[in-house]
Amino acid sequence: MSKYLPKQSELVKEFEEKPSVLKGDYEGREWWEMPFEFREGNFCFPAKPEVIKDLGFPNPRKWQPTDDDWKLPDGWQKILKDAMKERLKKYRSLKLYLDSCVRCGACADKCHFFLGTGDPKNMPVLRAELVRSVYRNDFPMVEKILKGFAGARKLDEKVLREWYMYFYQCTECRRCSVFCPMGIDTAEITIMVREILQLVGLNNNWILAPVSNCNRTGNHLGIEPHTFVQNIESLVDDIEDVTGVKVNPTFNRKGAEILFITPSGDVFGDPGVYTMMGYLLLFHHIGLDYTISTYASEGGNFGFFTSNDMMKKLNAKMYHEAKRLGVKWILGGECGHMWRVVHQYMDTMNGPADFLEEPVSPVTGTKFTNARATKMVHIAEFTADLIKNGKLRLDPKRNDHLRTTFHDSCNVARGMGMFEEPRYILNKVCNSFHEMPENTIREQTFCCGSGSGINAEEYMEMRMKGGFPRANAVRHVREKHKVDSLVTICAIDRASLPPLMRYWNPGVSVYGLHELVGNALVMDGEKKRTEDLREDPMAGFEDGEEDED
Amino acid sequence: MSTTWERVIAERRHDILRRWQEKGLGLFAEKMSPATPMGEAMADAMEMILDGFATGDDLPREGISRLARILAVQSFRPSRSLSVFTALRDVLLASAPDRDAAEVCRKRIEAMTFEAFDSFMEHREKIYQLKVEESRDRMYMQLRRSVS
Repeated sequence: MSKYLPKQSELVKEFEEKPSVLKGDYEGREWWEMPFEFREGNFCFPAKPEVIKDLGFPNPRKWQPTDDDWKLPDGWQKILKDAMKERLKKYRSLKLYLDSCVRCGACADKCHFFLGTGDPKNMPVLRAELVRSVYRNDFPMVEKILKGFAGARKLDEKVLREWYMYFYQCTECRRCSVFCPMGIDTAEITIMVREILQLVGLNNNWILAPVSNCNRTGNHLGIEPHTFVQNIESLVDDIEDVTGVKVNPTFNRKGAEILFITPSGDVFGDPGVYTMMGYLLLFHHIGLDYTISTYASEGGNFGFFTSNDMMKKLNAKMYHEAKRLGVKWILGGECGHMWRVVHQYMDTMNGPADFLEEPVSPVTGTKFTNARATKMVHIAEFTADLIKNGKLRLDPKRNDHLRTTFHDSCNVARGMGMFEEPRYILNKVCNSFHEMPENTIREQTFCCGSGSGINAEEYMEMRMKGGFPRANAVRHVREKHKVDSLVTICAIDRASLPPLMRYWNPGVSVYGLHELVGNALVMDGEKKRTEDLREDPMAGFEDGEEDED
Repeated sequence: MSTTWERVIAERRHDILRRWQEKGLGLFAEKMSPATPMGEAMADAMEMILDGFATGDDLPREGISRLARILAVQSFRPSRSLSVFTALRDVLLASAPDRDAAEVCRKRIEAMTFEAFDSFMEHREKIYQLKVEESRDRMYMQLRRSVS
């Protein structure tokens, strides 16, 4: 008999004896007294002791959130309070966000986790209130005014458990911030809380294991340089099989004009590898002088979900490699949080990159003035410029077997304000594109439910709930327009949306934007194309049916 | 399906749905708001189920599947999830005109509950299948190299 099967006595206890909101047991109590419980499926596994030791982080040990004893270090309250004080002093934004919330509730129903779970502590206002309540109680000046008046409480172990539960039920997507009249960015509060939780050894293996890998090998997956090259060469063979064209990427080549960096998921995982094939075809098509580094072999940055210091360290390799190889500028692949880090932090964190040049497209001559500071251009901007200047030979009919919609990735859409370029490209490389409802796209886009390092297998149930609002919007266009392909420009999305679609919308597949570009490109010397990059048949291109323009 | 129930549901559909949906949304730790995507999806599925209850002898499988898909990823136990059907039974029995209609209702709800149990378990299995598929996808190139 399964160990998970509850005993009759447990069920009776659950229904009859255990306090319940529905039975009115919590009437008249404060909001934070509402019960919560760690159960399989609603928490990610903590980091393994060896991973923590490898990174030199505090308090390595074996523990589980379901344990009664979390084996916290002595004086953990002081550690956390000191850390909060330090950050309140250092980050004015954090102090502002903690001080200025008027609890208007505008953010309440904007979080995908609240919409998917119905748990009020997932309302951004209450999630942040988990911290504000301690801030009101334990910090001088604030305490004098607000203690015992506006929801102040002590930092005890129950509060700590709540922090761990709910700040890992936030994907730092910032949808709530779009609707906040005070401009509060709850993601920054999440970032700070996660950072200080690390100090007492409360963490997530799905974040720290990639961080450790990246710290060691340069990419999240821990791929060694020779394997990294072999994987890409294997994709080169696949491209030749499908198109008859042999592309020639180079690695660690000094003197190349451009350094190309993309998330390692594009080199290793399905369906990311097809997007990588699209990049390689594109670069070959325009004769780009580029190289790929086997050391800066990761665009993503899980350090961002760990601490500012770790984010800075993992990001630094991009500029180091650009300098070592002597390139003019950097071109970045499709990724979400990679671009949040690059766009918002890289220049001031590891720059200025005055050894690089202001990016100029070698094909069109376009100056990417928006990248003047970072010297790094997003692939969607680069490709959109190529198309706009008529430099690509495209046959959108080659994607006629797909009926597409586009998922705006949170970090690129809300973090960079990039809405038009991917849509422009998509409309040029395929003939069937339908937008999801207005309040679920662009700056209001719904998160995939797995961002910010919570894409763990053991967290699948919570991910399905958090991703439900996005899946529901896809269902809308699936029923209305028979959409079967969800296109995105984020490596985490390419990993997390397939299971989300398989669960809520079976029959919808997930594609990277440049995979569709690769499908549509008409290459010099290509053989007759009958299959897309996944080796799926193209509609209307069966033997003897190709219609050459 | 008996014409009695067709008539009862036609007359009282709005009230029955409202009361049943109230119970369904109440399954969540704090009652799920009906205006959320999850609340709306539940309401749609429950509507399909009630209409199927009223109009045909076949089970409303699509509605049951949609509801089970939502319930199978929630934090509460399976028994609590399936109690949504006993809730429907209770709501309907309050409107049963006679003993025969009540018996028909009980049998029908019982069949729907069994169907929902199967669907719930299929969706639970799907979750585990997704975990396997996801692990496989993440190691795609490694697995490919190992078999080539």
